[in-house]
Amino acid sequence: MKKNRLGEFQELVLMTVIVLQEDAYGVEIQRNLEERLNERLSVGAIQTALKRMVEKGFLTSEFGEATQKRGGKRKRIYQATPYAHRVLREMKDIRSSLWQAMPELGLSNT
Amino acid sequence: MTEMDKHTTPPKWPAKFLRFLLKDEYLEEIEGDMEERYRDNLELFSAKKARRLYAWDTLKLLRPTLMRGLKREYRLNHTAMFKNNLTIALRNLRKHRSFAAINIAGLTLGIIGAILIFTLVKYHLSFDTFHSKAERIYRVTTEFHRKEISREANVPQPMGKALRDDYTFAEKIAMVYSQSDWLVSVPSAEGNNKFEQDIAFAEPEFFDILDFPLIQGDKNTILTEPNTAIVTERIAKKFFGDQNPMNQMIRLQNKWDFRITGILQDLPINTDRRDEIYLSYSNLKDYNAWLAGNSSWPGLSGGMHCFVLLKPSVLPSEVNRAFPELSKKYYNERNAEIYQFKLQPISDIHFNPDFGGYLAKKNLWALSLIGLFLIITACVNFINLATAQALHRAKEIGVRKVLGGKRVQLFWQFIAETALISMLALVLAYVLAQLALPYLNQLLDIELRVNIFQDVYLLTFLPILLLVVILLSGSYPGLIMAGFRPTTALKGKLYQKHVGGFSLRRGLVVTQFAISQLLIIGTIVIASQMRYSRQADMGFTKDAIVMLPVAEREKSTISAFNSEISRIANVEKIAFCSRAPASRGWASVTVRFASRTEDEDFDITVKAGDDQYVSTFDLQLVAGRNLHPSDTVREFLVNETAVKKFGEQSPQDVIGKKMQIGLNNSEGIIVGVVKDFHNNSFHETIDPLCITTSNKWYTECAVKVNPANLQPTLSALETSWKEVFPNHIFEYNFLDEQIARFYEMDNMIFRLIQIFASIAIIIGCLGLYGLVLFMAAQKTKEVGVRKVLGASLQSILWLFGQEFTRLLILAFIIAAPLAWWVMQNWLENFTYRIEIGAGIFALAIAATFLVAMLTVSFQSIKAALTNPVDSLRNE
Repeated sequence: MKKNRLGEFQELVLMTVIVLQEDAYGVEIQRNLEERLNERLSVGAIQTALKRMVEKGFLTSEFGEATQKRGGKRKRIYQATPYAHRVLREMKDIRSSLWQAMPELGLSNT
Repeated sequence: MTEMDKHTTPPKWPAKFLRFLLKDEYLEEIEGDMEERYRDNLELFSAKKARRLYAWDTLKLLRPTLMRGLKREYRLNHTAMFKNNLTIALRNLRKHRSFAAINIAGLTLGIIGAILIFTLVKYHLSFDTFHSKAERIYRVTTEFHRKEISREANVPQPMGKALRDDYTFAEKIAMVYSQSDWLVSVPSAEGNNKFEQDIAFAEPEFFDILDFPLIQGDKNTILTEPNTAIVTERIAKKFFGDQNPMNQMIRLQNKWDFRITGILQDLPINTDRRDEIYLSYSNLKDYNAWLAGNSSWPGLSGGMHCFVLLKPSVLPSEVNRAFPELSKKYYNERNAEIYQFKLQPISDIHFNPDFGGYLAKKNLWALSLIGLFLIITACVNFINLATAQALHRAKEIGVRKVLGGKRVQLFWQFIAETALISMLALVLAYVLAQLALPYLNQLLDIELRVNIFQDVYLLTFLPILLLVVILLSGSYPGLIMAGFRPTTALKGKLYQKHVGGFSLRRGLVVTQFAISQLLIIGTIVIASQMRYSRQADMGFTKDAIVMLPVAEREKSTISAFNSEISRIANVEKIAFCSRAPASRGWASVTVRFASRTEDEDFDITVKAGDDQYVSTFDLQLVAGRNLHPSDTVREFLVNETAVKKFGEQSPQDVIGKKMQIGLNNSEGIIVGVVKDFHNNSFHETIDPLCITTSNKWYTECAVKVNPANLQPTLSALETSWKEVFPNHIFEYNFLDEQIARFYEMDNMIFRLIQIFASIAIIIGCLGLYGLVLFMAAQKTKEVGVRKVLGASLQSILWLFGQEFTRLLILAFIIAAPLAWWVMQNWLENFTYRIEIGAGIFALAIAATFLVAMLTVSFQSIKAALTNPVDSLRNE
């Protein structure tokens, strides 16, 4: 489990992939995330996260269509594996149980 | 518009940069993303900023996950390629089964030869290297400085004491006196309790110098007390079975009892010290009081050795410089000049023929060279067949090259194929060598073992051998194939000349033939010399003579034995003697002729023999008369060499003269001269020699028998012998067999050369067969056309034959002088030897020719008989 743990950024990318469904390719993921996070990201950061997650077995990918805008180069569409879904849910559970266990004081402070 | 165009496409350099750095499989996606991103940015910002962002993003792509790694990316690809290469290699083997079989068989034979030779050479080089202080252990040897210098491993008995008393260079000094075939009996055992064994009187220090560990007994007390003995575990088992051998008694020569106080571990096979029974040195005086005394300096007794362990700081050369002083102290002035001593390192003992070493090192190097030859012939075979076959693979190589295969890749592909075949051959050879080893051991009477798991040297040798074989046989064909031009190869227009052509192939075959012929000529020369040694007239009769030991030499016993065996039918003549006319050892002593006041400057060989000696062995008298019967030394016969050495002109001149020999200072009159006969092997010259009567020296009895109906005669002899000598072990030898044993080592070398010459010839034939197989396939059309045009069978056979005949003759021209030179050198070892005549060379070339023709003929006849319709049909 430890080896395959998701990093924080990776988790965000993974969730974005699930949200975008058939549109989940590099630049689209990047745009979406930049909007949500409200900060600039580099292609390298996104790609690294994607490749790492493919290696770890969270994502699968296949080539999609090519567009003029991309200089005739094909997109690569990513898709989350069932394993990724399970891990995400586990992490959510861990988080919410932690939230519940947090003292009131901490909550009101935010 | 142009301005816009310029900005809609991103700058070129980052893309190039990316292509260089990023993993290929990510490239399309990432480049696409970057472009899309750039266009997004163009809409948001100025062109300039978009470009800057683009460059910045490019730099940010440089992350380990995305970049070309050093290995990760290629690994998959490599296994696939490797698998493919393996498949192709196996397919090729299967497709060209006969070629593969010939290749593997040739390499296997070569490697078997190499493994066996390696094991044999290593075995001999390992002799007496296991002693922990081996580099400080020396043996003292004697040099006689007369007209010529002669050397002996034996030293005077008091040497040990003198070194201990007068010098300090040695840490330990030990005398050991080895004797063969002593009668050892076990009084406590029932039934057969008599054995003939080699024994040694040894000082206890012997076991401090050499590493022969005790498994029972106290190292500090063994052999210190008189009448104690130690034996090896093997002997203990033989004598006492399962009983505890400690403190048991053994009896030697029916006279002396010894108590066993220690058991030695069984001797390792690689030591020349083969004694297994050691007796307390203080008992030497019981056996020979004079020898054991301090005044036996002038007498050298065979088997008396002195081992020293030098102190670590002492150089052997310093000791050698001190020895003349020792000679001066213990000899008179004249003898001090003659008797010189030298240290011999223990590592030299096995190899130095001057001191009776077993095998000269040059024989080992010669053997190693033969091993190398075998490997070369096997590799040459491989190269030959592989280049011949290369054409079959032109298409494959063409396709590979067109698809981007590089030279290096093709080269290594071929090397990998060679490696596959070589490894197969190696495994096969290892297994077969194991199977062949017992026969080799039997043939050479040794105990070799081939086991990579116990033998570090072999374990390193085999991979190196494999590597050499692979590179030697694989690299040339590999280079050739990798160098094919894809266009020509694919058009099918590659011909022989592209793969090294016939001239190279010819060169290789000539090399092979030359090596085979070298070995064949060697074999023939050795065989002829061996036959000559066995059959040539030695100057006396050696057939149908049985040699019996004379166990007790009282006058009454001898005459009783004489009358006992003279009654046996088929016994024709009986002579009591010390040794047969040709024999190893016995006595060689100083001699004084006529009334001269000084000893002659040579030693004379003494043969004791009674009045029947001359007639039993058919020796020829050239002057004077035979010896009269006598029990002691009274008269002498000398040989012609002795007459010459005395400086006398004719045999008549020595008759009636007095002679004194250094053996018990015996004196007598010379009454006759015998014609020279060979008293040694043909390796050595005829020595000056005398024959005289003396009962106490008669250790053997020569019985000339009628060779018809031998078995009853032998058993009758045994019965009579046992009646006269009931307490001894009966043993007989035929004289001709005894003499054949002079050439044991020559015989061994002969057998080895025979074996390896046959292997070389078989490998050569395999190569030849493969070549002719290929040639037949190549010439199918030519033969067809010739036949259609009316060529006869003979002329087509000649097409094949002339090629090989020419190669054979060329090889012979190279091999013959080389063989002549090498064998002439070998023959120098024999004083009496054959001439290397034209006959030997003729025989060698005829033999090779015959073998080559047999190999070639089958395929050529098959090719010549093919119906031209079949060979010309398919176009």
